Amino acid sequence: AAASAAAARSSGGASGGGGADGVSSDAGAGGRAPATSTFWFLLHALCCLVSLFLGFRFSRLLFFLLFSTTALYSSTSSSSSSAVLRATTTTTTTTTTTTTTTNTFTLSFAAGSNPPPSNPSNHSAALDDAAGHTQSHVVVGRHGIRIRPWPHPDPVEVMRAHRIMERVQEEQRRWYGVKEPRHVLVVTPTYSRAFQALHLTGLLHSLRNVPYPLTWIVVEAGGTTNATASLLARSGLTIVHIPFPDRMPHDWADRHATENRMRLHALRVIRERKMDGVIVFADDSNVHSMELFDEVQKVQWMGAVSVGILAHTGTADQPRLSEEDKQNMPLPVQGPACNSSGQLAGWHTFNSLPFTGKTATVVGEAAPVLPRGLEWAGFVLNSRMLWKEADGKPDWVKDLDAVGENGEEIENPLILLNDASSVEPLGNCGKKILLWWLRVEARADSKFPQGWVIEPPLEVVIPAKRTPWPETTTELSSELVDTKPDQEDRRLSRTN
Amino acid sequence: MGTAAAPAPERAKQRRSSHLWKKALLHFSLCFVMGFFTGFAPSSSSSWRSNSGQPHHQLAASHLTVNQVSSSLVPASPESDAVSNGAVVDVDDVGEGDDERRRRMLIVVTTTRSGGGERRRRRGELLRLAHTLRLVRPPVVWVVVEPAADAAATAEVLRGTGVMYRHLAFRPEENFTSAAAEAHAQRNAALAHVEKHRLSGVLHFADAAAVYDTSFFDQIRQIEAFGTWPVATMSAGEKKVVVEGPLCSESKVTGWFSRDFNDGTTRAVKYNTETDSNPAGAAGTRAHTIDVSGFAFNSSILWDPERWGRPTSLPDTSQDSIKFVQEVVLEDRTKLKGIPSDCSQIMVWQYTMPMVAAQTSTPKTHNRR
Amino acid sequence: MRWVLAAIAILAAACFFLGAEAQEVRQGHQTERISGSAGDVLEDDPVGRLKVYVYDLPSKYNKKLLKKDPRCLNHMFAAEIFMHRFLLSSAVRTFNPEEADWFYTPVYTTCDLTPSGLPLPFKSPRMMRSAIELIATKWPYWNRSEGADHFFVTPHDFGACFHYQEEKAIGRGILPLLQRATLVQTFGQKNHVCLKDGSITIPPFAPPQKMQAHLIPADTPRSIFVYFRGLFYDTSNDPEGGYYARGARASVWENFKNNPLFDISTDHPPTYYEDMQRAVFCLCPLGWAPWSPRLVEAVVFGCIPVIIADDIVLPFADAIPWEEIGVFVAEEDVPKLDSILTSIPTDVILRKQRLLANPSMKQAMLFPQPAQAGDAFHQILNGLARKLPHGENVFLKPGERALNWTAGPVGDLKPC
Repeated sequence: AAASAAAARSSGGASGGGGADGVSSDAGAGGRAPATSTFWFLLHALCCLVSLFLGFRFSRLLFFLLFSTTALYSSTSSSSSSAVLRATTTTTTTTTTTTTTTNTFTLSFAAGSNPPPSNPSNHSAALDDAAGHTQSHVVVGRHGIRIRPWPHPDPVEVMRAHRIMERVQEEQRRWYGVKEPRHVLVVTPTYSRAFQALHLTGLLHSLRNVPYPLTWIVVEAGGTTNATASLLARSGLTIVHIPFPDRMPHDWADRHATENRMRLHALRVIRERKMDGVIVFADDSNVHSMELFDEVQKVQWMGAVSVGILAHTGTADQPRLSEEDKQNMPLPVQGPACNSSGQLAGWHTFNSLPFTGKTATVVGEAAPVLPRGLEWAGFVLNSRMLWKEADGKPDWVKDLDAVGENGEEIENPLILLNDASSVEPLGNCGKKILLWWLRVEARADSKFPQGWVIEPPLEVVIPAKRTPWPETTTELSSELVDTKPDQEDRRLSRTN
Repeated sequence: MGTAAAPAPERAKQRRSSHLWKKALLHFSLCFVMGFFTGFAPSSSSSWRSNSGQPHHQLAASHLTVNQVSSSLVPASPESDAVSNGAVVDVDDVGEGDDERRRRMLIVVTTTRSGGGERRRRRGELLRLAHTLRLVRPPVVWVVVEPAADAAATAEVLRGTGVMYRHLAFRPEENFTSAAAEAHAQRNAALAHVEKHRLSGVLHFADAAAVYDTSFFDQIRQIEAFGTWPVATMSAGEKKVVVEGPLCSESKVTGWFSRDFNDGTTRAVKYNTETDSNPAGAAGTRAHTIDVSGFAFNSSILWDPERWGRPTSLPDTSQDSIKFVQEVVLEDRTKLKGIPSDCSQIMVWQYTMPMVAAQTSTPKTHNRR
Repeated sequence: MRWVLAAIAILAAACFFLGAEAQEVRQGHQTERISGSAGDVLEDDPVGRLKVYVYDLPSKYNKKLLKKDPRCLNHMFAAEIFMHRFLLSSAVRTFNPEEADWFYTPVYTTCDLTPSGLPLPFKSPRMMRSAIELIATKWPYWNRSEGADHFFVTPHDFGACFHYQEEKAIGRGILPLLQRATLVQTFGQKNHVCLKDGSITIPPFAPPQKMQAHLIPADTPRSIFVYFRGLFYDTSNDPEGGYYARGARASVWENFKNNPLFDISTDHPPTYYEDMQRAVFCLCPLGWAPWSPRLVEAVVFGCIPVIIADDIVLPFADAIPWEEIGVFVAEEDVPKLDSILTSIPTDVILRKQRLLANPSMKQAMLFPQPAQAGDAFHQILNGLARKLPHGENVFLKPGERALNWTAGPVGDLKPC
């Protein structure tokens, strides 16, 4: 390698010299002319700079050729360049492999600035052998730990990496995902209340991540409100916002029934508009895994998924549950049960026994809310089964008009079927929980700021030296009132 | 160099000119050689450190600190270096907005509590937060701290979301008597990670049970040092919606308030700007802490306190980082930024579960009293 | 006027010069080379193409060692044990040494663990030597070729140099008695004393069942850009740093610990295998030796291996298109790792991932129990079959001697 470097260097010198020749002969011509000395000087300087630059670039080129034997990411062409190198190396090697060969390569700069390998005998052996033996450019011994001086991480590269990952994920979906995705129709009953913003925002974010074409059918009890509309509008999703005339009742059982009627209302809209796709029933308080939306693509007519029931058990006393039981109690699941051959065999229902007498009856009561029967959220439908006429619509599907006509409660979509055994269990036969069901609400009469903007700006209060945070309770504790001499620093202001 | 000297000079003028241009030639050659050897100098990409036997970590650490400062203040372009080193850099980022370059990294830390009920709820909650974070423009690093025993099951949920997260399995040294103590220890574990890796960005502790508006994350990217905002806390099963947060004027925090929308009470405290501008004045309030859900801060305070005008060897930083941060945020009010500028828009909602004496399950989010 | 022209000429020359160089650089980084033949070689069936005779050694050379310490079945060098088991029941095995193409000596040289489970090869040379002496006296086949038609599995750090420290390994060199034999080893570095010409480089052993158990669906979105778990500094063996991994691992840590894209740490999480499956790039830097089990893990889990080990010789390089599935970064370019990785065109990345998804590539990296078509055992046999028929220089003339039985360190000459 040293020989090739020398050769390259000499050829570099020659070409560099040639370049300088050209420059100087022209400059010489200039010198004869009675030109201003400043121009001459400038040209001289320019040429000096040019040759400096040329020299620099040339050495970099040489450097590049010499030391970049490992490809950055490519293979063929760089291996060809390294093959050239190898060739030059092998010309100076003998074919015998001896055991005394050491792998030392002294870079002109590395040797100068890097401490030599820690084993001097080794090093000298290498030098002795250098003339006739195989060499690798790997140094045996201690190396410097390279730390780059420029700022990092580089934001541009970070963004580039994110784009790469985006493409990779996109490609993964293309390879493994559904080839011709069906439209997803999400049906959500909602109403304006304290927890609406929290729940609906969460659902909205989930839906925005769904990688399939999606229409969100939101049915709002008590008519559409601006607050809901503006929240939905910000999502950028395709939205059908339908008003529902009735107000949401305060009783949990009634609310449940009303929500069912709202869902049925949405189904009628789908039927009227002949919307085509897979219907997913998403309550605003549900949390969905993205896998659910992959699974629903498989549905032929009606599918069922397992729902994890998060009945909060935060009530004061639960005599039936010891702490240990609670630790070991698996997440209650509602959904399809399969037999060993993967056919629908029955349903896992929520065991409400431990909660007897402890559940909430009114919205916002401080007690767990349990699902009533099978939740709609656990079912997905092909919208075509709702249409008046559709190709291949099975005869075990009832006509939507025949359902719920007399105002009876529709507990779950199974009522749409004459034969519930045709339901397709999804999510590895119901073994996989694809969504979580949790009902938390504030008391129905809870007030909350409109649009979650606090206005008017809070009135100015007496200046304080201290930050009251976080002892800000609704009432000043008596201890504070009694013991703090500077209590005038703060003021409790009642606005109504 | 033969050709250059070819014409045989006869006249003195010509001789002089030939002399002149030999000189020029010499200059050029010198320059060329100089350039040649400059090119052979160790590439600027590597800085060779002497093996003086000192711990390398420390050396490297100080080195990095300097770089970090410059990187976060001046988004300099490294391309020039890279190109001159012969590295292949596609300079194809024509459409790269300044915005993208300047977008700060977000470090979102989520702690999880052990306990049966919590564990059951965790997957759903983390999933919801993951979906939100998936919508936030990069760069975002999500650090999830979790008791080691549960980590594998949660990882299954998280990795399906496609969010870039770091999962820290938490192995506590002690058994925690309260959820607050556990959360505290987990936050310290997360901060230790940030400190060790010297991650630089805006750090926020996001509660898995909280719901965020996506614009919130864009807002907190604007934070230079510390930031705070109003948070709505709703109590499940109660008639209680409380908004707590800073009083702001043009992003300057002028005080704090807490308003209960149902009993209509508002408590507020305003700083006296004349007498209280001195941060030392607030030093007496060490006992007070700021709730973690309501603030974000520049993570470099953890590993580069000097830059923030603080003594380096605070025992707090290593032992109890989160306490240290909470104190610093309150002390250095001048660096505190209110979000959004008038702190009136609520972008964070969280809820507390109905809890009586908390003997059956751990308290949900925040025991503020 | 002339000067202006001259200046233009110079600039033009400069441009030409620089342009030529730029051309050079660009050529150096073109990638795409479509070659579909790799898979064919991987799917070769060695059965019928070679016959292997397995020497029946006393159990003190193999089974007894394993009985003494069953942990030998789980470390990175366990290939030697599984290769033995595989050959015993393989279709290429012959019981007639006269018709054998290759002779195999089952010695478990790495099955000598310290109490903490580290396999250290202090006894290995003596054991190997003793086994060779035994077969040379008991059977006539060794002396016929002095080992040129014998192969040995030596999966230690530096193969048959039998030392875990490179300098010592180089000092020792390959055990003199093995000079004519074919070595099947994990170690591979070009032009290295411990890499004999004609050696077969194999992947290190990684537990196949365990990896299988951690497989996650292939559609799990890859959300980590760069992943690495392992040491950056080996402070106990290399307190000053810079010797371990030739400083490359330390450089990775110092330059990229604060980079959000680099998920690097010394912690070994319970989800290590799963995390590799959600990463785009997995770093495979050298450690004490250039090879690492991460190579196997990366290929099996479809994570593009970023190989940082100058002049490494990769396993089955004649059958696996490493350049096309992996990324090679020179040790000195580690500080530029982020620029290098982010400037790879996405199409190239996607192509590498497609190639990595190829099951035959994964199969060739594993030593499954029982053996399966196309696995690493079969690749080893393929490699041996490709060396057939034996050249003329394999068999010695009567009376000819090539080996020096007394060469090597004195310590090695002691009886086992």
